[in-house]
Amino acid sequence: MARTRRTRRNRGTPLTIVLLVLASISIITLDYRGDAHGVISGIKRVAHDAFSPVQSGVDAVVHPLGSFLAGAVNAGAIQQQNARLRAEIERLQGQAAAHQDEAVRLRALEELDRLPFAAGIPTVTGQVIGLNSSDFASTVTLDVGTSSGVAIGMPVVGGAGLAGQVIDVWSDGCTVRMVTDPRSAVGVRYGPQGALALAQGGGSDQLLDIAYIAPGTSMHRGEVLTTSGLQQARYPAGIPVGTVTSFSSSASSTQESVTAKPVVDLDALEYVDVLQWLPPT
Amino acid sequence: MTSADVARTTIVVFVVLAVQHALLDSVRIAGAHPELMYLLPIMAGYVAGPERGASVGFAVGLVADLFLPTTFGLSALVGCLLGYGTGLATAGLVRTSWWLPPLVAAVATSAGLSAYAILGTVLGEPRLLADYLPAALAVAVPAAALFAIPVLRLVAWAVPPATPAGGAEVGGAAR
Repeated sequence: MARTRRTRRNRGTPLTIVLLVLASISIITLDYRGDAHGVISGIKRVAHDAFSPVQSGVDAVVHPLGSFLAGAVNAGAIQQQNARLRAEIERLQGQAAAHQDEAVRLRALEELDRLPFAAGIPTVTGQVIGLNSSDFASTVTLDVGTSSGVAIGMPVVGGAGLAGQVIDVWSDGCTVRMVTDPRSAVGVRYGPQGALALAQGGGSDQLLDIAYIAPGTSMHRGEVLTTSGLQQARYPAGIPVGTVTSFSSSASSTQESVTAKPVVDLDALEYVDVLQWLPPT
Repeated sequence: MTSADVARTTIVVFVVLAVQHALLDSVRIAGAHPELMYLLPIMAGYVAGPERGASVGFAVGLVADLFLPTTFGLSALVGCLLGYGTGLATAGLVRTSWWLPPLVAAVATSAGLSAYAILGTVLGEPRLLADYLPAALAVAVPAAALFAIPVLRLVAWAVPPATPAGGAEVGGAAR
C-alpha cells in the first residue's frame, strides 16, 4: 500500500511554470484574435506535410490492428450496417460486384459523379482517411489537398448533400469540419417561400439545431433544408443540408424549436466531393 | 535535460502521435476515442517532477495543437498545467504499488479533459462541456489507466528524473 512520506519536495522554480503558462496564453491570444493566423496556418501546413509520410507508413503497418479494434468496439453497429448494405445491394440492378465493399464504393463514387446540385462547380473527389483527431470536434481528414486544388473554405458534399467545409489544408490532405460540429453554422432555406434560417451543429452523432424560425411557422417532418446562398454566404445555393425531424414551440418562446437530420450519413462517409468554390471575400 | 534526452523525448512524442492517429482515432465509442497525448505530460510529471512535467507538457501540447482544429495553444496550456500538477501531487509518494500509475493516469486525464473543455468554453468553443466532455471522460479515462504503464516505461526512458540541489531524486524513490 502506498504511503505518503514527507520527502523534500522539489520546489523547483515556479518561474518555469509561470513562463510556460504565459507563453501558452500568448499563443492562444494570438490565434484567438487572428493576429498570427497566417503564421500558425503555415506552421500547421508544414507539420502536416512533414508528418503525413510517417503517418502513412505507420498506418500501413497498424491498419489491420486498428480495424480489428474498431470492429470489436462497434461490432453491433457494423452488423446492422452490413445487413442494410446487403439489402441495398440486392435492390441495385446491373451493379454486379465481386465483393460487398467494392459495390458500396462504386455506388458512392457514381453518386458523386452525378450530383443533382451545385451544377457547373468543378469538384475534387476525395476519400475519408481519418476521423476526429480530437474528442472535442467533429472533423474528418481527406486524402486531397492543395496539390489537388483544395483550399480552406471550400464546401464538401456527399452524394445526398452537404457534409461540411474545409478548415485546414496541406499538400496532400485536408481537414473537414462536419455540419454536426457545434462550430458549424449554415444559412438555409425552407418552405415554398424559401424562408431563411440557420442550421447549427449539435455535436458528433447529434441532430442539427435550426435557429431563427418564428413560432407557429408551418413545417412538416421530412421537409428539406437547402443552403441559402445569400450574398457573403459560405456555401453556394441549393445544396441539401438536412431534413426536419421535429419542431415545437411554447407560448413564451421567441422562436420555433426545430431539429433536423443531416442528409448525408456522416458515419458512413467514404468518398466525398470538394466543391472548388470559395465564399466571396 | 541533455540533447540526448531531448532527442529521446522527441522520438517518444512522435511515436505516440503516430499510434494515436493510426490506431486509436478509429476506436470510437459514442464519438469519443482514447487520448494517449494526455499521458505524456502526466507520466513526465510522475517520473521527473513538476518542472520537467510542465516543460514536456508544453511541448507535447504544442505538437498536438498542430493537428487539432481547436484553438492553437490550448493543448499546450493544458499540457503544462497537467505535467506540473501531476509532478506536484505525486512528488512525495513511494512508487512501490503497481496500481499507482494507472490511478494517477486516470485521475489526471479526467482533470486534463475537464480543463480543456472549460478553457475551450471560455474561449468560445461551443458545447464542449455538455456534448463532448461526458463521452470523452467515459472513454479516455479507462483507456488512460490501461495504457499508463506502457507509456510510463517509454517516458521513463526518455525523460530523466530531475535532481534538486540537495541531491535527492524527485518522486520519492523508495529508500
